[in-house]
Amino acid sequence: MAVDMSMPVLVVDDYNTMIRIIRNLLKQLGFEDIDDASDGSAALSKLREKKYGLVISDWNMEPMTGYELLKEVRADPGLNKTPFIMVTAESKTENVIAAKKAGVNNYIVKPFNAQTLKTKIEAVFAE
Amino acid sequence: MAIADASHFDRLVDFLKQKRENVTFHDIIALAEVSAQSLQSFFQAMDAKVYGELREIAGYIETMRHEIGALQVNDLKNSRIPAAGEELGAIVQATEAATHTIMECAEAVMGADASDPVAYKALVDEKMMVIFEACSFQDITGQRIAKVVETLQHIEERVSRFADVMQAKDIDGFLTRSERERAERKEKFLLHGPQLAGGGVDQAKVDEMFP
Repeated sequence: MAVDMSMPVLVVDDYNTMIRIIRNLLKQLGFEDIDDASDGSAALSKLREKKYGLVISDWNMEPMTGYELLKEVRADPGLNKTPFIMVTAESKTENVIAAKKAGVNNYIVKPFNAQTLKTKIEAVFAE
Repeated sequence: MAIADASHFDRLVDFLKQKRENVTFHDIIALAEVSAQSLQSFFQAMDAKVYGELREIAGYIETMRHEIGALQVNDLKNSRIPAAGEELGAIVQATEAATHTIMECAEAVMGADASDPVAYKALVDEKMMVIFEACSFQDITGQRIAKVVETLQHIEERVSRFADVMQAKDIDGFLTRSERERAERKEKFLLHGPQLAGGGVDQAKVDEMFP
């Protein structure tokens, strides 16, 4: 399945710099409709207001972590099909396993490059 | 603690063995005097022992006071730790500012009109110079980190020495409620933070888990 570049993407990270990096990478890949949120609860509000085609979220944020956000999304019948990629510095095996068990579609370890982001997005939409 | 021996009570025993039919107030006073005299040697022995133990405790407290003084806690609390915090704050600011500048340059180049090659090259050259300048933050940041590391070493040396002298043993639990809450949150949401090389899985390993 080809990636629809017109779909809205929500980037969730508590560091503006990281949001800016992912935004620029997504723009380079051809995405145009990109929103951002600074933590899980802000992201959840946006997800309930607008239909997003993809969520790219950090793990370690306050007050709501990306891991909690993922579980909330998967528990919500209106959101549970939304593709979700975790982009995080949390690189312990137990984190990857927990995220997979919670229903994440893919997992990127920071620091990452544009090619990894592109490959992972393509992999998610090829499922 | 001194242990009473039988000799301490000989005079008292003799006094009590005397037959007395009508006990008077004088007899009671006499009994008290004999009791006091009999137990004097016992109390003297006990005093010496207690004195020795108190001296030992006083010596220990004096050593402890000296070791606490050697920790230089006031210097740490009022000067070194706040200074290290300021250095770390300055590092965050400098890296943020440099990242912002570099990203701004990259965004300007990416968004520039390349239809005029001469103007485009001039813009790229200008932005590259700004990026070079912004990268100078690393030198100052390195020096600031060295100061923070020095403070940590200073604290480590003193705390280690103190723990050795006091033969301190760790106890379980948390010092404050917020400390406990932070630890519980980290455990509950698997917040380990970035790992050092070899401490976590790399992207290739993650990819194997998402075939």
